[in-house]
Amino acid sequence: MKKKVNILDGISMALLLLLSFIFIFPFYWILTGAFKSQKVTVKLPPEWFPMSPTLENFRKLMQNPALQWLWNSVFICAVTMLIVCVVSSMAGYVLAKKRFYGQATLFSIFVFAMALPKQVILVPLMKLVSFMGIHDTSWAIILPLCGWPFGVFLMKQFSENIPTELLEAAKIDGSGELLTFSNIVMPIVKPGFGALAIFTFINTWNDYFMQLVMLNSRSKLTISLGVATLQQEFSTNYGVIMAGAAMAAVPIVAVFLMFQNYFTQGITMGAVKG
Amino acid sequence: MKQSKFNKIRMRETVISYAFLAPALFFFCVFVLVPMVMGVVTSLFRYNMKGMTFIGLDNYVNMFKDEVWQKSLVNTVILVLGSVPITVLFALFVAALTYEKNPITRSFFRCVFFLPVVTGTVAVTVVWKWIYDPLNGILNWLLKSMHVIEKNIMWTGDKKFALWAILIILITTSVGQPIILYIASLGNVPKDYVEAASVDGANDLQIFWKIKWPSLLPTTLYIVVITTINSFQCFSLIQLLTSGGPNYRTTTIMYYLYENAFKRFEYGYANAMGVVLALMIGLISFIQFKALGSDVEY
Amino acid sequence: MRKILSLGLAAALLTTTLAGCGGDASETKQAESGATTAAAGGETTPAAQAPAAGGESVEITWWAFPTFAQDSADTPAGTYEAEIVAAFEAKNPDVKVKLETIDFTSGPEKITAAIEAGTVCDVLFDAPGRIISYAQNGKLVKLDDMFTDDYVKDVGNEALLNSCKSDDGSYYMYPISTAAFCMAVSKQALESADAMGCINLEGDRTWTTAQFEEMLQKLSAAGFNGATVYCSGQGGDQGIRAFVTNLYDSQVTNDQVTEYTLNDEGGIKAMTKIKEWVDAGYMLNGSAYNGGEDVDQFVAGNTAFTTLWSPGLASQRADTLAENGIEAIALPFPSEDGVPEMEYLVNGFCVFDTGDAARAEASKKFIDFICNDEEWGPKNVVRTSVFPVRQSMGDLYPGDAQMQFYASLTKYYSPYYNTIKGFAEMRTYWFPMLQAVLNGDSTPEDAVNDFVAKANQSIVNAQ
Repeated sequence: MKKKVNILDGISMALLLLLSFIFIFPFYWILTGAFKSQKVTVKLPPEWFPMSPTLENFRKLMQNPALQWLWNSVFICAVTMLIVCVVSSMAGYVLAKKRFYGQATLFSIFVFAMALPKQVILVPLMKLVSFMGIHDTSWAIILPLCGWPFGVFLMKQFSENIPTELLEAAKIDGSGELLTFSNIVMPIVKPGFGALAIFTFINTWNDYFMQLVMLNSRSKLTISLGVATLQQEFSTNYGVIMAGAAMAAVPIVAVFLMFQNYFTQGITMGAVKG
Repeated sequence: MKQSKFNKIRMRETVISYAFLAPALFFFCVFVLVPMVMGVVTSLFRYNMKGMTFIGLDNYVNMFKDEVWQKSLVNTVILVLGSVPITVLFALFVAALTYEKNPITRSFFRCVFFLPVVTGTVAVTVVWKWIYDPLNGILNWLLKSMHVIEKNIMWTGDKKFALWAILIILITTSVGQPIILYIASLGNVPKDYVEAASVDGANDLQIFWKIKWPSLLPTTLYIVVITTINSFQCFSLIQLLTSGGPNYRTTTIMYYLYENAFKRFEYGYANAMGVVLALMIGLISFIQFKALGSDVEY
Repeated sequence: MRKILSLGLAAALLTTTLAGCGGDASETKQAESGATTAAAGGETTPAAQAPAAGGESVEITWWAFPTFAQDSADTPAGTYEAEIVAAFEAKNPDVKVKLETIDFTSGPEKITAAIEAGTVCDVLFDAPGRIISYAQNGKLVKLDDMFTDDYVKDVGNEALLNSCKSDDGSYYMYPISTAAFCMAVSKQALESADAMGCINLEGDRTWTTAQFEEMLQKLSAAGFNGATVYCSGQGGDQGIRAFVTNLYDSQVTNDQVTEYTLNDEGGIKAMTKIKEWVDAGYMLNGSAYNGGEDVDQFVAGNTAFTTLWSPGLASQRADTLAENGIEAIALPFPSEDGVPEMEYLVNGFCVFDTGDAARAEASKKFIDFICNDEEWGPKNVVRTSVFPVRQSMGDLYPGDAQMQFYASLTKYYSPYYNTIKGFAEMRTYWFPMLQAVLNGDSTPEDAVNDFVAKANQSIVNAQ
């Protein structure tokens, strides 16, 4: 009996390791591919590790405004993150803790809109954004993403934790609404910020469709879009494309590995609460 | 008297609340509601570069008659039906194997399976394109040297494989979050219950179904919903790998929408597709809530 | 939950109806502004040589596909273009040109998005296929005043001039250079397969389908891969389309370019043959490759020939070919009677209507500089690696045998159908048709008939 279980465990473990390998391999292939010359990238059997590493791919990559792309991505994600956190925590707090006219209706609209994929409104959104004169700028991505009500929903859940007595006590002490918000509400919903920030950051970073439709100019592209453009320009010159992919992936992976626990917590809290 | 005072307080609260809500409402109305309305309205028009003509529901009628749209619907459904159960089972499998391991092993596996998410969709897609490349890719070489196949297979161009090739990448980019969630919720299953049950002579399978699974339901519901929505929106993989080919075998609704808007300039038609897609996703999420969420309380 | 959702639905419906009125208003406004731009486009514009009004500095943007060759394969896209801009700005200090490079795969969609968003460029360097469809949609400025009598006489090629016109009879594209699409074979592969006898290197190098098939057999017997029948994504479709039509003397459209005729006997036979060749392993199923990738495979030595070749590609890929020790021999497409009908490219410029007359004038001035400046005009033509449209420029490639061969193909030009209405839509049906045949989804006959039906419908749709 015991032995049988062990065999099963062994098989499961082997399967798990095999799957892990499949998940790690693409990343490994990006990292090593970035240092292979064009000739080596198409060589079969492949060079598992670049035997004569070259920086040529990065030189070619740098002929494009790749650093600018990276910066654009970081800028867009960071600003979106910031605005979403502030705006959502304010809205979430009153939705959870105040009683006002139209509350239920408003909340249901938010919930309803959350289920809609934002891509389906992309064509009208593009029209709108160009009407505002911000098409082909970072704001064309930042502002629409700030309208997405997921954050409001999440922060409402977190705000439910705020003890009502605490808010009433503050009111009796004569604390103004804004003061109450910054001194009492903010510290309590802080863990929610982490979750929301990470969610927003990853989603914004990976929102390729939105970037594709909103950005034209080479200098305005995000790193994802830049890599996609490289793939189209260099088609099968995989080395250069991998160099771009490495540039897109490594910073975020590094941040993830450093703050792994925050990511895990953020994702768990976002879901369990949501 | 009392009534009016109550109203006064509530009025005051309302003003303050809306002040707090103002920024969120502003963004929401301008960037979600208005485009949504614009999308619905323009879906009733023949709307292209030349201008707009009102045609009522013609776009919708044509859509349901459009063979390519039907094909993309089927492909989208296959992607959803393929990715959702696999993602759930895959995530459950990995989580069940790792959640009781020591923290280092656990976080190692968590990292591994979350890696494609943080690598970014585009970076993951371009490297898979290389792996799948019929002449220069490693996959064909590997399978050939293991004598699994004899001739090169055109993974993204062969009608038998293209959609599955896409599905595999889609799954690798979507299991990361579910695994993290399952590890967390399995960790939250009260130990006493499990112990009590095993003292009572329940076997592992019984313990799983009777004790663990019910407490995993909310998480599962959440995972099913987000995976469904993500699979419905599958776009970048298609655009970068197959452009919808071969012969529309990998065209998803999302990609067909894009093709109509930006290659054929049929914005009204594209918007009609968007409306239908939104309704479908809304409906499916609703059904999933009903089906899985009957005994889930939030 | 149900209560919340139904409430939400009701609320959303309510807001939809309410906002619907507002939405209508904004649509009307858009329609009106559309009308005004159209009217502005209809006005006759002053002569191109007129100086920009007031001496105020005008800024225009120029979007360029990678058509100009750079100094070397290593030089990043846009370097040469920047030199042109600098030279132009030096002579015209009142105009500033902002350069933007785009690629052939995502570029077209970018242009569409930008047109819709109102952020499109002033000057676009492209080909008639797209340019005329923009013109038909009323997005371009008329360039009639640039086509002076002298210029028209200098070009002296009616087919080519017609390719620059929209159906209202006005010119919308200012051409600079032209050449035929052809194919190329690897000399090394043919030599080691003992297949050099299959091709003809005399005269215009024309050859027959029978010779081509013999070459396929010999290459395959010697273990070489044939070209991919590439069809994964847009771009390069002219090459493979010309290959298909030539094999058994079919035509994409009738001579009047009013109807697609690819489903004639020859067209169906050609598709049937291609399917046979792919099944026999003579050519590769290219469902996973686009035109550029097919060329990549050819210059890397993975395939022995390619159906997408042009003088431009030859010069862009010269370094890689040399590195891999491959000599590419350019050939016309094989045909049953040995007389090819070549599709050709025309490089040219168009000006988008931004509603700003000063910018339109500056754009024309810029185009005039690129094409007709004494120093830069011929130099720019050479950078497109093809032949000037203006005969007065003469032979820009004296003593170059390769180029003389390419030039000889001019006499095989076929009717130019890229300006047909609905061209952009037709292109979206072309590759799925090839994919359907190659993957055995439908018989060649059904697939070609289906393609022609859809393509003809696209002409109606675009009316």
